[in-house]
Amino acid sequence: MREKIHKFRWYILGLLLVGLLTVPVWGSDYVVLLCLLFCLYLALSQMWNLLAGYSGLISLGQQAFIGIGGYTVAVMASYYGMHVWVGSLMGGFFSILLALFMSLFIFRMKGLYFAIGTWVFAEALTIWFGNWKYVNSGMGMFVNPTNPPSITMTYYASLIIGVGAFIFVYVILRSKLGLGLMAMRDNEVVSETMGVEVFRSKLYCFLIGAFVTGTTAGVLYVFQVFIYPYKAFAIDWTVTLVFIVVIGGIGTIEGPVVGTLIFVFLSQWLAEYSSVSLIILGTIAIVVILVAPRGIMGTLHEKIGFEILSPRRE
Amino acid sequence: MDSSEGAVGSILEWEGVLMENFYQLILNGVLLGGLYATIAMGLSTILGIVKVINLAHGDLMILGSYLSFVFMHWIGVNPFWTFFLVIPAMFFIGFFIQSLILNRVVGKGMEPSLILTFGLSIIIQNSLLLFFTPDSRSLMTPLSVKTIPITEFLNIPLLYLVNFFVALGAIFILHLIFQKTYLGRAIRAASDDEIAAKLMGINTKRIYAFAMGIAMMTAGVAGVLVGMAFLFYPHTGPQYLIIAFGVMVIGGLGSMKGTFIGGLILALSQLIGAQLLGIGNQLLCGYIVLLIVLAIRPQGVFGEG
Repeated sequence: MREKIHKFRWYILGLLLVGLLTVPVWGSDYVVLLCLLFCLYLALSQMWNLLAGYSGLISLGQQAFIGIGGYTVAVMASYYGMHVWVGSLMGGFFSILLALFMSLFIFRMKGLYFAIGTWVFAEALTIWFGNWKYVNSGMGMFVNPTNPPSITMTYYASLIIGVGAFIFVYVILRSKLGLGLMAMRDNEVVSETMGVEVFRSKLYCFLIGAFVTGTTAGVLYVFQVFIYPYKAFAIDWTVTLVFIVVIGGIGTIEGPVVGTLIFVFLSQWLAEYSSVSLIILGTIAIVVILVAPRGIMGTLHEKIGFEILSPRRE
Repeated sequence: MDSSEGAVGSILEWEGVLMENFYQLILNGVLLGGLYATIAMGLSTILGIVKVINLAHGDLMILGSYLSFVFMHWIGVNPFWTFFLVIPAMFFIGFFIQSLILNRVVGKGMEPSLILTFGLSIIIQNSLLLFFTPDSRSLMTPLSVKTIPITEFLNIPLLYLVNFFVALGAIFILHLIFQKTYLGRAIRAASDDEIAAKLMGINTKRIYAFAMGIAMMTAGVAGVLVGMAFLFYPHTGPQYLIIAFGVMVIGGLGSMKGTFIGGLILALSQLIGAQLLGIGNQLLCGYIVLLIVLAIRPQGVFGEG
């Protein structure tokens, strides 16, 4: 079975890509919407997976970049009439700047301290934006571009980001940086003596994660139209990403894909019971950690060696 | 002459008011710091002993506030009496969370326990939202509005004072439990060297469950105190988790004295920040001080190493 998958994997992935490319042609608006959410959450969760699953950086502050990306696109489009996609990229660049600033503080911390340090940053930004008159304080603001893109355009933008993030992570993991990261994750001290530049590799990952997260958030808020600080900088974003990656399988490339699929369908299905949906998501995350700590793809790989894309080079 | 003298006099008086205002600020900061230390105690205990950071700590504390709220309205008593119900209830909640869920991932690294407690946090928050609606609640006591005047401008809010002494008492009792009882010694042994403790016949998992129970008792105390001093909502938990974390980081891990001083520093920086930059930035100033401490002395002001 392994050889078969190995042989056909590019065909399977190609077919999937063609399917996603032609969604606006054959799919209803609802299907396009689902695929759009899928692509955006895929990009976000791939980045969290790159950090937590491969670099050992558990960030609970991804919402800082989501908020910055969203606000950048809102300000650039509404105040300066910038094109929304350029604004989204600007969101990515501002996220890198923020990440560089954050790294001055939090890269001295390890493990738990890093996790909470990132969270504290995001909380501080919530209050900052909640009091900042320029962005209409806590009332929030509309993303008000001069010529808003159609839903099909937004879909293609998110498709580029989702598929792009997926390929990007795959390429990174098979590069020298990726090998160093995995060595580092398995044993930091040994890898450092073998010449892996631990600090620099981690910093690169953090910056890459910030850029992609910020850009994705820009596209997300072009689609959502309205942004306000208590939602944009909410820990809920990271909760969702943790859920997706843990369910799918932390530290696997396919894990976030499976996790995102499950999350998008589950959240649509649970939308009717919005008051209990987060309780159910929380319970599922707990049960998965207790029963199959490596998630769906991790467990499949462990039990039957099933793997579509391997970070290992043959 | 007269007018200029009057002006000088009024400036002196104004300075006097500023100074009194300053003393009031310091006083409030110290009293609030005691409360912050109580919030942080449980988090710091569990991180020290079980090596787990309990991301649900703030939510469990707010659960304590809601339990007190329920008992208060159910029995119709002053919130102080609910301590006798909330504290045992919180002990059992902590004991069962540890023995049924967290003990399964002890020693498996940080990620599983982070995600488990994160999951618990979400479940508690949203269950509270479901049962109690998003409306704000408080535990009103007759004490809430009383103050003890010292001078014309300086007075002690009685509730803060009571909170401060209950907090001190809780810290002292926790210290006694760890130093003087068999359970406390077993807990410290299990945290120092798990394997050696097992060889000595200590059931470490059971010990961890007791430790979590005790930590949740302190969270219950903190929950009732916070409920008496401030409004609370189902989603206030994470805010207090960050306060607890700040206190723990500033004070350094594993020392009761450090936790206490950490509470004072965080509370003072919040209140002074609110005075200088406006009330909206109160929390922001606390976070900034926390980040500065993290950057300069990650092991905490009183931590070793």
